[in-house]
Amino acid sequence: MTDSYTVVGKSFQRIDGIDKVTGTARYATDLKFENMLYAGLLRSPHAHARVSRIDTSAAQKLPGVKAVATLFDVPKVVQYWFFLRTEKKKEQMFLYDNIVRFIGDPVLAIAATSVDTLKKALSLVSVEYEPLKAIHDPNIALKETEVSIHKKGNIAFKVNKEFGNIQEGFKAADIIVENTYHTSKQKHAGMEPIGTCVASFQSNGRLTVYSSTQLPHWSRHYLAKALDLSLNRVRVIKPFTGGAFGGRCGVIHGLEVMTSYLSRETLRPVKMSFTREEDFSATETRHPMTIRMKTGATKEGIITANEVEILSDTGGYGTHYIGVIADCMSTGIGLYKIPNYSFSGIVVYTNKSMCGAFRGYGNPQMNFAQESQMDIIAREIGMDPMALKLKNYREEGEMDPVLNQRILSNGLEECLTKGARSCGWEEKRSKLPGNDSIKKGIGLSIMLHGTGAARALPDPASATIMINSDGTANLHTAAADEGQGNRTVLAQIAAEILGIEFKDILVSETDTDITPLDCGTHGSRQAYCGGLSVRDAAMDARKKMLAHAGKRLMVTPDQLMIKNGRIFEKTNPENYISIKDLMQKIQIRDMGVCEQIIGSASGIAPAMPGYYGAVFAEVEVNTQTGEVKVIKLTSAYDVGKAINPEMVKGQIVGGGIMGIGYALTEGLQLEDGHILNPNFTDYRLLRSCDIPKIEPIIVESNEPTGPFGAKGIGEGSMVNIASAISNAICHATGVRLTDLCITLEKILQGLKKIKCG
Amino acid sequence: MKKTDIRVNINGEWHDLTVTLQDRLIDTLRDQMGLTGTKEGCGEGECGACTINLNGKAVLSCLMLSVQADGAEIQTIEGLQNGLDLHPLQTAFLSESAVQCGYCTPGMIMAGHALIKQDPDPDEKTVKTCLANNLCRCTGYEQPVKAVLKAAREMRRKTND
Ligand code: FES
Ligand code: FES
Repeated sequence: MTDSYTVVGKSFQRIDGIDKVTGTARYATDLKFENMLYAGLLRSPHAHARVSRIDTSAAQKLPGVKAVATLFDVPKVVQYWFFLRTEKKKEQMFLYDNIVRFIGDPVLAIAATSVDTLKKALSLVSVEYEPLKAIHDPNIALKETEVSIHKKGNIAFKVNKEFGNIQEGFKAADIIVENTYHTSKQKHAGMEPIGTCVASFQSNGRLTVYSSTQLPHWSRHYLAKALDLSLNRVRVIKPFTGGAFGGRCGVIHGLEVMTSYLSRETLRPVKMSFTREEDFSATETRHPMTIRMKTGATKEGIITANEVEILSDTGGYGTHYIGVIADCMSTGIGLYKIPNYSFSGIVVYTNKSMCGAFRGYGNPQMNFAQESQMDIIAREIGMDPMALKLKNYREEGEMDPVLNQRILSNGLEECLTKGARSCGWEEKRSKLPGNDSIKKGIGLSIMLHGTGAARALPDPASATIMINSDGTANLHTAAADEGQGNRTVLAQIAAEILGIEFKDILVSETDTDITPLDCGTHGSRQAYCGGLSVRDAAMDARKKMLAHAGKRLMVTPDQLMIKNGRIFEKTNPENYISIKDLMQKIQIRDMGVCEQIIGSASGIAPAMPGYYGAVFAEVEVNTQTGEVKVIKLTSAYDVGKAINPEMVKGQIVGGGIMGIGYALTEGLQLEDGHILNPNFTDYRLLRSCDIPKIEPIIVESNEPTGPFGAKGIGEGSMVNIASAISNAICHATGVRLTDLCITLEKILQGLKKIKCG
Repeated sequence: MKKTDIRVNINGEWHDLTVTLQDRLIDTLRDQMGLTGTKEGCGEGECGACTINLNGKAVLSCLMLSVQADGAEIQTIEGLQNGLDLHPLQTAFLSESAVQCGYCTPGMIMAGHALIKQDPDPDEKTVKTCLANNLCRCTGYEQPVKAVLKAAREMRRKTND
């Protein structure tokens, strides 16, 4: 492959852009079918209770009510794709047994002919609850022995790992810094509420489900398993999706099963949609964590030891709690070559809304703690934080001890130097805050995030490409695009290899009937894992094209090149055939052949390469009011290779703003299990008038295992924002914040403490 | 439920519709007229996804009753383009990469549309203030703001030509 790409590395407009700007794009919420029923859930008003009786008779008598399903009669579903490998049915997220575990936990579902009838019917159901003692505090969950939220107890998962010798590490240290950090319960808050799906079960035993799932093929697996159907009878179609950020790969599967069950009962299409309030209060959130971290370093700035203890609160149910805590460990250890590292994590259940996957997957929590520690150490030993990072980060060529793989690309140093130069780090960091009441500061934070989950989870990707007789191609991939633009990127990869124009590739809808097995969109994996499968499928098609061309040009295929719609002899470009002509001939004109070129590929990626980033945050803190204004983020990320630079920038800027929200404004507040802010007035997302300048910098380290050198970006772009901002606040004011989100009160309190000495 | 007749102009065409007194305008547009380009993100007036233009002004269709629209001229995202030709706002949202998931896009574009009508030469601050009613979880706003500014420029150029 040459370096002068014609399609890769160019910022093509997204393939589904026109649908989106004209209003023709159909999202799950827009779907409507003949005879369709409307379904909804009745939710528990108790944080913890036993359901002793459900009386649905009055609701069932209401004209227009077509089906009622209570927690006593719905099928159960495995909750997390990791568990697909086992036959056991693990605890699921709702309608699991006769215990309700958070306020909003569903007890039954009803399908009716109209939304009004549905609401009326839900109000006619009477449920008897025996309230149980509720646990809201994860520390209490840990100690409590009498109240057990799940049969197996209140502890969902435990992990303990030591690398090197932690005691020796602390002995070698000149300074030891120890702090406890708390992080908030952030909500995905994609603009289309989570939890819309339409299911249609037909008398012929065929189930079609339209769901805004991130994992269409795993949705299909869950549905087949829960409803006892063979996989080929289950069809999952993913319509346009209004943002996911990890929120559509957990609870949504329970919803799909529920809706499909109601459709099977009625043999009519059924649509279930959650309101924004339900989205806020009864779908997953980021795991709030308490992180105790003890870090040792020498005066020269060598980090010798890090001891980490995490208590993670997964709420009433768990989906991704194992993966999330495992990622705290792998991203923390992977980033720095700290020789002695001990990690212990405990995940507990509490009677709160459940937690799950969310952009960053444990990393933003871990990064906030670890990057704060690094900043404190740098200040204490009087070293530039950037120098400390350059001294300790795990470089290219080294082993990652958790993932047990060698680092083949790491552009962190370039991220740091380019970012520092561009924002004027040295000058700004060495400035003293001055005497004004508005204090300026700059902070730095770095991060590592993994691309995909090859070998850690079932992580397949597949693609098929069909070349048409006019030289255009159809690409079939189940890569779910929730707005990132991955289907556009995949089309670019295919076009580059096939030597045709970008506009000549059409990417199919994501539909499990026609798009082959792919585990979906998570873990920043599509440009890399999806990209590899598309690359290989295109190579397969190309090989077949070259074989045909070789026969016609009277040369062997290895002597041929393919570019700009032509196949030609490398040493004699005049000996050529256009792809269009060749396809015409072999598909239609030459009746002795009549072959369509079809390329395909399927499998897992060879690695889980890390991608890296450095963020420089500039803030102004009003020491009178405690108000923090983020002035600028300079965000440099090593993405291996930007297949579509504009789309990479879109992720960096969008992730940056989400990260500022995590730092300063976002977090669900609970009181006795009640969510106090389940709306956009009280849960504050940043708006256009709040945004600082963001300067995205793309670094390309060329990952050797990636398609054209690419690796991930989607999640990482929000991971190290909160830590960079917190470090900047400390630079400006001397106040070290250890709790997210950082409110005015916390800053004022910190300032007061400094004043009082 | 009590029903009543209203007459509204939607995207240039008058329609006689029968609605109940409780019907929200967003539902009449989406369910009765099939104009699902207008999105619902919250139903409470907080996200701006349901923004349409009513007599040239940006309004939240989730907070309006259909009967309140009687006699009004409504424009939705579906009414912007001219055949296959996109409106300059639509083109600018594409060229400035202001669209990711696209769920906020119709509302953003309609908010920008009403703004440019009122102020053909808005500055960046005006655009940021105007779009502050529209939440977007994907883009980070920078590109939608740029897109509205670009479209305004383009539209001024067209009228001056
Ligand atoms: S749906 Fe109308 S403002 Fe959110
Ligand atoms: S593009 Fe997704 S919410 Fe704006």
